[in-house]
Amino acid sequence: MAQRFLILEDGSAYPGIGFGAGATTTGEVVFNTSMLGYQEIVTNQIYHNQIIVFSQPIIGSIGISHDSYESILPTAKGMVVRDVTDISKNRQRSLSLDQFLKQHNIPGISGIDTRHLIRQLQQTGTIKGSIVDVADDHAFDQLHATVLTNQQVAQVATPRPYPNPNQGYNVVVIDFGLKHGILRQLSKRDCNVTVLPWDATAQDVINLDPDGVLLSTGPGSPLDLPESVLDMIRTIEERIPLFAIGLGHELFALANGSEVKKLKLAHHGANHPIRTIITNEIIYATEGQEYVVDPDSVDRDRLITTYVDLVDGSIQGLRHRDYPAFSVQFFPDGAPGPNDSVDLFDEFMETMGTRE
Amino acid sequence: MDNAIQKILIIGGGPTEIGHETELDAACVQVIQAFKKQGIRPLLIDNNPFSSALESVQPTNMFIQAVTADNVQRIIEKEHPDAILPTVGGVLAISVIQELQENGVLADNNVQTLGIPGNAIMDINNPDRLNSVLKHVGVPIIASETVGTLDEAVNVAASIGYPVIVKPIAPRIDTNRILCESEAELISAVTRGFSWSRFKQCVIEQSIVGYKEVELVSVRDAMGTQVLIAGLENIDPIGIHSGDSMVVTPTLTLSNAEYQELRDTAFAINNQFNFTGVVHTHFALQTNPENFYVTKVTPYNDRGTSLAACATGYPIAYVAANLYLNQRLTEVRLPDIYHFKQTALLEPSLDHVVVRIPIWPFEDVPNADQHLGTVMKSVGSTIGIGRSTEEAILKAIRSSQFSPKDELPSMSDLSDSQIISQLIHPRSSRILVLLEALRRGYQVDELTELTKIDPFYFVILQHILDVRENVQSHPLDPLALKQGRYYGFGDGMIARMWQVDIDTVRSIGRGNNILPTYKGIEPSAGELLKSPTGYYSTFEFENESEQLSDHTVLVLGRGGNQLGPNASADYFTAEMLKQLHKSGYETVIMNTNPNAGSLTSMLTDKQIIDPVQLGDIMNVINMEHPVRIFVPGNRHFLTRELRRRKFPVSVLPPDQEGRSELLTDHATIGLDLFVTEHHVVPILASDLRSDEGIATTLAQITLMRAPASVNPQQLSQLLDHANEYLASHKRTGMVQLLYTTNGSQPPVFVGVRPTRLTTIAFLNKVTGINWVRMLVRQALGEIDEDLIAKLDIDIRSDRRSQMRGTFPFKQLQLPDQLGLTTQEVGARISFGTLDPEPDE
Repeated sequence: MAQRFLILEDGSAYPGIGFGAGATTTGEVVFNTSMLGYQEIVTNQIYHNQIIVFSQPIIGSIGISHDSYESILPTAKGMVVRDVTDISKNRQRSLSLDQFLKQHNIPGISGIDTRHLIRQLQQTGTIKGSIVDVADDHAFDQLHATVLTNQQVAQVATPRPYPNPNQGYNVVVIDFGLKHGILRQLSKRDCNVTVLPWDATAQDVINLDPDGVLLSTGPGSPLDLPESVLDMIRTIEERIPLFAIGLGHELFALANGSEVKKLKLAHHGANHPIRTIITNEIIYATEGQEYVVDPDSVDRDRLITTYVDLVDGSIQGLRHRDYPAFSVQFFPDGAPGPNDSVDLFDEFMETMGTRE
Repeated sequence: MDNAIQKILIIGGGPTEIGHETELDAACVQVIQAFKKQGIRPLLIDNNPFSSALESVQPTNMFIQAVTADNVQRIIEKEHPDAILPTVGGVLAISVIQELQENGVLADNNVQTLGIPGNAIMDINNPDRLNSVLKHVGVPIIASETVGTLDEAVNVAASIGYPVIVKPIAPRIDTNRILCESEAELISAVTRGFSWSRFKQCVIEQSIVGYKEVELVSVRDAMGTQVLIAGLENIDPIGIHSGDSMVVTPTLTLSNAEYQELRDTAFAINNQFNFTGVVHTHFALQTNPENFYVTKVTPYNDRGTSLAACATGYPIAYVAANLYLNQRLTEVRLPDIYHFKQTALLEPSLDHVVVRIPIWPFEDVPNADQHLGTVMKSVGSTIGIGRSTEEAILKAIRSSQFSPKDELPSMSDLSDSQIISQLIHPRSSRILVLLEALRRGYQVDELTELTKIDPFYFVILQHILDVRENVQSHPLDPLALKQGRYYGFGDGMIARMWQVDIDTVRSIGRGNNILPTYKGIEPSAGELLKSPTGYYSTFEFENESEQLSDHTVLVLGRGGNQLGPNASADYFTAEMLKQLHKSGYETVIMNTNPNAGSLTSMLTDKQIIDPVQLGDIMNVINMEHPVRIFVPGNRHFLTRELRRRKFPVSVLPPDQEGRSELLTDHATIGLDLFVTEHHVVPILASDLRSDEGIATTLAQITLMRAPASVNPQQLSQLLDHANEYLASHKRTGMVQLLYTTNGSQPPVFVGVRPTRLTTIAFLNKVTGINWVRMLVRQALGEIDEDLIAKLDIDIRSDRRSQMRGTFPFKQLQLPDQLGLTTQEVGARISFGTLDPEPDE
């Protein structure tokens, strides 16, 4: 394994050992403090164009598993870890993390003092970085010159509708970079799912006569999506039960007059306690966010806050006062992370069931 | 908070034994601290002379008595506590509470049980009832049946099919599962099981030997809020008692889906039983097909919860204590390390790996069967913390060895058939045998098949061998040193591989900037951290620890518990640390025992969990520049090496070398004294006995009894002799003069030795004076001779007191034998009665 470098916009360079693909990549550097689930994390499309720093020190120890994909074609720009193990556990013994990353042209770098890096990122905030072979001026010039796209959703969302047939409720999922955990939860509840592209119009949705609509997770800024998406949401929420997650939640808030701001530092992890406001119950869920709903901007006549993160005080859930529409910033499907809030999908089922 | 509770009776853990060591007492100390903070009056019953908890309650609240239902009942009837706490007293406390519930004492006296609701106590202690509750929660359970006779047992086992597991119902000791391959083994196991069970009943169940064993530690408040603290993965499969298994945290070979299912199950069980406080849930996992069972639910402090606390920096026992008082997790504040309020609610996220390796007593009890199985045999354990699995494993192995030189014993003498046999029937050298097997070219698949250990660990062990090979073949090469240190090899090991001395290795490190970096042990993986007090070293980029002060004292902990005086060493260390603080020093402790009370964060300013080996110690010295290094007990090699390098080392109690003078190896009377420059303070004259009567050698003296069997005249003769002797033989510190008596003849002086650690603990309890603190003050030059002169100790008191060593023979399945001081696993003290205590 060859020496490679993680270089950051602020001029710092971290030598490490390359694994996975040998590609040179550039992305936003974010860190994740989840204790397990590296496969779910690296395949989650919220990490499109991002380099993920893992605080969990041991990566790769269970190989790659058929039931842990959050997308089939991951588009993260790199994995930064302290220690990686090359293990395959599938029946063919043919797919380790290293091989998987090679197949998807994602580079990894190990032997990094990730704890230091995470403490550094807290100072700098989210920052651009590259995984390169040589940390010379040229590499830094390239890094500075690289402009990351703001069309992340269009890059990762499905361009065409597709079905996931079943016998239950007819659910339309709008794909902004859908994580598969959402499909698994709907499938468990027998939903007859049609996944529509991110730019589906309200009419496209209504034509399918769904019992409910789910706005999916996805990468990037909700502010980079066109106003037409918000129009679609405003039309749908009046007529059809709506459940929004992650980026979907941010869009739901925007559509209802709230503002969304970028966090200085993205937060990815599952260790923050979250208060369920109505019951005072404490739950844990994976959070993966770079944007947050500005609490001061929430129109209290339209939206109710339902969940709050107790560490940073961020709004983690909203509900519409007049329509059967609700949203969460965190990932109730786990994958990886606790299942404490998985009953939100049941709530969605109930909402669809009580629809006139 | 529940204002109805003003006074709580805490049931202590009793003498340390196989199954529990200092972790119960360490938890008890934290619970007492939390109770006091809430204005609660804690009462404590315990007869463990090495209990620090007994030092932290007022004498009027302290009941030095054996932990039995009768004794607890008497205290309840006299003191009328509002509540009773069984969760820091281990299995024994649970069994006592159960008895007091059955006979109505708790209800009659209106005493509330904290932590575990009444019916739950019955359920968790009875595998049959536990299964029916688990079934209700929807958890898969193992086929099992309760039996009360040998005939029943044989029939049930035949119908389940061998191998089967035997578990005694409501056992008095922690020996929960016995594997039986045949009817003969079954009969022996059930017979033993009946004798351990309070109901003379056992459960026979389907064997799940070979499954992966995983444990979760969680806390829950009365509102039902729960936090998962840690997952502990046993590297060894079921079939080896988890107390004898190598354990790693966080779990490394579980998928997210598997882990979350266990989490959900543990939480559902906690809700079903309505536990508050800490719960330790044990699981058995089958990988193919995927399946799991709950094997044990322990809603109290134990070695698992102390490992979880030590690994995460989350003060479990302290938080749990607040939860017992009906505080909510949202209200409990951890010591001030974070900038947000609900600190007890942060689910620990780790960026390091912790490996625990047990320590077995076979060097001291050579006639024990050394095979590891379903009955626990280890007496202590030691942990390694690292940023890679290799580093954590190597540090744990290094700390678990008896050799002081930081070198690993070679297994190359084993024949191939011995290797195979030990792979299948592991012994205490298991980890070294696994390395040796890999070195000889056994394949990972083969080893997984033979040992049922996850292949991941063999990949890691193979990597350790590869690194070792590389380091060995590149003597004096800085890159090799860097790689070796990075993966956890100690300087002593590297020196040995290179055939040079350790200073050569260290100077290559210094010269090439290969320096240790200390990392905080804290539960937020660096995300929310302010300033942790616990650290471990690794060799990376950033060092987070800096010199504490210019008046720091470094204390070298004893590491993993072993038989002998070690049982009291942790107590001694903790008391030392308290005095050092009081004397105005900042303190740094190095230790590796996750159960140690001396590692409790409130005792010291900084805790360093690294092997207590020369190289690691010098790393700490280079960082902290201590004004003094204290070594509780003695570690001759380290003391010598540190002194040779001109470091200011104080051994307490003062060193034995050259200080013992023995005329014979036989004594019946001991006179313990505290000696300062100007004064000789007699503390206690006592009878010295073996466990079975007269001791023929000093090594057999494991029982002390006061008052000594001497008449007043003889006592005066003793005291006169002592004064005379010590006037002419210059000594300071604590000494024990030894005598023999014969009728009313004057006692015959036979020798002098430094007072043993165990004896000092006893003397503290008998006199109410903390002699450990006296010794520390003496070593610091702070002794006030005027105060010493005024010490009022009634050497002629007729108050009866006794300390008696306890031995692990029964748990090691050995016939009764005469115990030696080197074989003591713990001790018990009693006052006011000389009647032999019933042997449980």
